[in-house]
Amino acid sequence: MITNKPEVLAPAGTMEKLKVAIDYGADAVYIGGDAYGLRSRAGNFSFAEMAEGAAYAHAHGAKVYVAANIVAHEGDINGAGEYFRQVRDHHIDAVIVSDPSLIEIAITQAPGLAVHLSTQASATNWETLKFWQDLGLERIVLAREVGLDEIKEIRKHTDIEIEAFIHGAMCIGYSGRCVLSNHMGLRDANRGGCAQNCRWKYDLFEMPALGDKTELLGENADGKLEDFSMSAVDMAMIEHIPELVEAGVNSLKIEGRMKTVHYVSTVANVYHKAVSDYCANPANYQLDEALVDELWKVAQREMSTGFYFNTPTADDELFGKRRKRPQFKFIGQVLGYDAQAQVVTVQQRNNFGIGDKIEFYGPNFSHYSQTVTELFDEDDLAIERAPHAMQVVHFSCPFPVQKGDFIRAQAIEKPAPVQR
Amino acid sequence: MTELIASVASIDQAKALMHAGVDTIYAGEDYFGLRLPHSFQRAELTTLIKEVHAQGKQIQVAVNAIFHNDRIVHVLDYLQFLAQQKVDRITIGDPGAIRILHQSQLDLPYWYDGADLVTNSRQINFWAQQGAKGAVIANEVPYRELVDLVPNVQIPLQILVYGAAAIHQSGRPLLSNYFNFVQDHQDKLDRAKGLFISEPHKPDTHYSIYEDINGTHIFANNDVDLMTQLPKLAALAVSHWFLDGVFADPTNFPKIAQAFAQARDLLASQSLTAAKLADLDDLVQANQPANRQLDTGFFKIDPSDVK
Repeated sequence: MITNKPEVLAPAGTMEKLKVAIDYGADAVYIGGDAYGLRSRAGNFSFAEMAEGAAYAHAHGAKVYVAANIVAHEGDINGAGEYFRQVRDHHIDAVIVSDPSLIEIAITQAPGLAVHLSTQASATNWETLKFWQDLGLERIVLAREVGLDEIKEIRKHTDIEIEAFIHGAMCIGYSGRCVLSNHMGLRDANRGGCAQNCRWKYDLFEMPALGDKTELLGENADGKLEDFSMSAVDMAMIEHIPELVEAGVNSLKIEGRMKTVHYVSTVANVYHKAVSDYCANPANYQLDEALVDELWKVAQREMSTGFYFNTPTADDELFGKRRKRPQFKFIGQVLGYDAQAQVVTVQQRNNFGIGDKIEFYGPNFSHYSQTVTELFDEDDLAIERAPHAMQVVHFSCPFPVQKGDFIRAQAIEKPAPVQR
Repeated sequence: MTELIASVASIDQAKALMHAGVDTIYAGEDYFGLRLPHSFQRAELTTLIKEVHAQGKQIQVAVNAIFHNDRIVHVLDYLQFLAQQKVDRITIGDPGAIRILHQSQLDLPYWYDGADLVTNSRQINFWAQQGAKGAVIANEVPYRELVDLVPNVQIPLQILVYGAAAIHQSGRPLLSNYFNFVQDHQDKLDRAKGLFISEPHKPDTHYSIYEDINGTHIFANNDVDLMTQLPKLAALAVSHWFLDGVFADPTNFPKIAQAFAQARDLLASQSLTAAKLADLDDLVQANQPANRQLDTGFFKIDPSDVK
């Protein structure tokens, strides 16, 4: 039995995602407010919504953190003290901040509100963690460049809570130390405007004088010209939960406030299962390969372990031909199940119909697959497909699925292995 | 009086820079400092410091790297060395190094240099409370924000008036990774190789890129040249002007420094004319390397145009 079981921390771009993440096993979620956040395009929470989300989380033994991690320019921080007091008074458990001006305001003007240092501040050594701990911060989100051995060393020197990213998309640079987007498109990367310029395709050349270029682009294995890029594959630490727990990480963070309900539910569910299984019985823990397969169903890119075991190589960047990933789509949610008639009622989220192989999945990693052989609309009329958004349909299903379970359309290709 | 600070590539260049009117020489070792024209090991740095002090000038040493555990353990020893050498001030960007400096109680003033993160007065005043004697303002702060910001800061600001502006630092060896993938050019990694990248569909753009022990660095499309904007800067009382020669021609860089020193002196005596300013800017342009262009960076940008 493990006593320092880490929390699984999931992104929640909307109220629906917040509730789903918690239903699917997240011990905590992070959201954005109306101000000071880096995800201006995510569905950000009003104070009333924060209170509703916090109430839901607390009723389920979970926590809610609010990201306020911009690097402010002059004038941006007006009203921040009142903002943090409102966040605190709407029962949010902590704020995630990177700009020291906002840290200072949160600590001095909203006493009682826990402050976490954002990964945007790129904390990479134990002295830095102690610096922030001395100021009253309760938790540090480490830079994604910190390796597992470094975390163990940091843990020896400080007892401040450590949060580390374990899954999702990664910045290619030190977070916060990249303004490519500012310079290439007048979009401030540190104020929510990042245009993901690192994922663009660049020319690379020597140029002793203006206009006198010598191209340095090379060819890939197919003999095609390979553009220079800085695009990282995504992170997946599912195969290394024991090492993370033993290193003393307190919070395992999943990236993606912009991601879908399908993604959030799946990833939270997988990591909740792995962490719970390991902590319940570490001596006999073995990774269930089904968990890895499950992550591939929502993967957007190939996956690797980032900086945890070594400095990333070419294999950790998106060069050459993409390996095939299984393609799944989120098609609906179970509204109810009639056990006697063995009929499930579903609210459609994406077009599906007769002949599609579908998979139900619910909290606690329950799964059931079948092929749709019949389909009826609300008037009990037989239909071939359910093409309308939020359309309510029903069909026979011998497995007793639960209200709230999600449904995805099944893969065609076989999942590729997790890359090490 | 406005202070001119210049990065330095050699001891000979330091002499030329000081002769040109530079007040403070900026140097360091790449194990502790970022994007330096030359990595001065301790013996060479000691010689440089002696030379600078012999001329009655100041030395500023870069301790502004992002430190991982393996390097943070060497910071105290380095700070002790710098204090012994009577270094006038250092720049720091990693709060862990600030903590070590505090605990050491060394007589070593520091300026906060968090690169692109230093963008508002409240943050700068936070570092002032943490003992910083000055701060290096981010290149992404436009003039119109400086107008509001400068009156609010409790400590002096250093601003880049000439040179390459860093816009990205990765912990990954991005060039090595690419060259390893295409199995070619694996030796073309360091700054001396003069590599550039250009944006998709913008073949005329040219962002410098190189690798060193601190990772991969990318610089803005054009180098900063605020010569024509100096009257505005002087009126704002931004007191420390920084010239970065990291990509400059080693021989021509002191000539650029001399142009800025002249402008500074003429501003101080209220005798700088528009014609003279244009001449001095021509001097800067004339001494710019053949493969680099100049512009005013973010200085003239309307803050409301930044999304």
